[in-house]
Amino acid sequence: MDSFRQAFDLLFSLDKELLQILGVTLRMSFFSTTISCLLGLPLGALLGTRQFRGKAFLKKMIHTLMGLPPVVAGLIVYALFTHYGPFGSLNLLFTVRVMVIAQCLLILPVVTGLTASFLEKGAVPMIETAKGMGLSRRRVLFLCLSESRASLLSVVLNAFGRSIAEVGAVSIVGGNIQWKTRVMTTAIMLETNKGNFSFALALGIILLLVAFVVNVAASWIVREEAYDV
Amino acid sequence: MFECNRLKKVYRERVVLEIESLSLSQGETLALAGANGSGKTTLLRILAGNLKPTEGEVRTASPILYLPQRSYAFRGTVLDNVLLGANDQKEEALRLLVETELLPLKDKKASSLSGGELQRLAFCRLLVRPCKLLLLDEPTSACDAAGARLLLAALERYREKHGCTVVLSTHTPVVATQAAKRLIILHNGRIEADGDPQTILQSPSSDWAKEFIAGWRI
Ligand SMILES: Nc1ncnc2c1ncn2[C@@H]1O[C@H](COP(=O)(O)OP(=O)(O)O)[C@@H](O)[C@H]1O
Ligand SMILES: [Mg+2]
Repeated sequence: MDSFRQAFDLLFSLDKELLQILGVTLRMSFFSTTISCLLGLPLGALLGTRQFRGKAFLKKMIHTLMGLPPVVAGLIVYALFTHYGPFGSLNLLFTVRVMVIAQCLLILPVVTGLTASFLEKGAVPMIETAKGMGLSRRRVLFLCLSESRASLLSVVLNAFGRSIAEVGAVSIVGGNIQWKTRVMTTAIMLETNKGNFSFALALGIILLLVAFVVNVAASWIVREEAYDV
Repeated sequence: MFECNRLKKVYRERVVLEIESLSLSQGETLALAGANGSGKTTLLRILAGNLKPTEGEVRTASPILYLPQRSYAFRGTVLDNVLLGANDQKEEALRLLVETELLPLKDKKASSLSGGELQRLAFCRLLVRPCKLLLLDEPTSACDAAGARLLLAALERYREKHGCTVVLSTHTPVVATQAAKRLIILHNGRIEADGDPQTILQSPSSDWAKEFIAGWRI
């Protein structure tokens, strides 16, 4: 109960550091989600609706990557961007940008895999029906996208949820630097390690609240009239 | 209106369609029959351009309209669905709804329709546009006798108006004999019989066809 009070006190006192951490968290999750979806939705669409050579292998790869442990993703990106690594000269280590890159490595396969399996399951009859009606390719595309928006949204929200909750990769490549790369999850880890359990819990509650608000907003965007029962 | 030569479709080394040659001229109506899995849907999907044949090629007129075997309800009402295919031809859409007795349902959600109603809706949604080649995969399979009659009448009117070529698959003998002047019976992906529906039904050319037609009549 104390934690709840603390959470609200923190939130409503507009604590400067908390707001900064929240800002970094949302910025990171926004870019990770957007980039993963911009690449992953079309990739998943190709994978889910087209036949091509090596498709089975590609699918196995993606499914394996869907289970990539965040710390491993963090380690790979760390190795690439460390001072002596191939991209070391970019000086990106311990920045929000490299955190976004590490998260994309984690989330892109998830978005691609989920989109593909959703399309494989239900989209072919829909696409054939729309094409069969003699609509132009563009109308077919827009009709099917609008028709699937609830499923596509759940893919996007899944990506966002993973991003905002992820701690392993961002703590490795971001370094949890105060006022710079500290995000909600790494702050929670730090406070827990310091023994400030109720403060850590308060941060956790705020994180949950943010996730809830984003979900509510998103489902409001694609709201549908209720079905007759 | 379409023509195919040495058409073959193979799934995992299993031949599901093998047609030496088949052509249909302008304005003809062809009915496809055959047991489940005989290749009717495969042939129609190839003609519609939704499936690549393993060998051979098809040449078809365009535009093509194609009704998949399973009807799909897009979001929105029955009228919304019919208007999807129409270019602002609301009158034509309403006329089709009247013709298939769906008008009282026009403001219902399409996803709440019964199987037969949805099939009639899918039919209306298709016929709001003109076409050269009309491909219908079991268009009356979910309809009762009255519903099937409505669809056949609407089809007849559409064909007279646009002079299009029609290929339809069916498991119902009367649909074949009423709608088509030519019947093809597929058996394991091959053409087993091809000709006038009445003739085929009355004097089947092989033992297999005889048996199939005997079973077909029940
Ligand atoms: N995507 C697919 N993969 C493997 N086999 C298929 C596929 N689609 C159809 N088949 C097979 O091809 C055969 C012909 O199917 P189909 O053309 O749908 O038959 P019909 O419409 O006459 O009932 C069936 O044995 C079916 O199992
Ligand atoms: Mg079929």
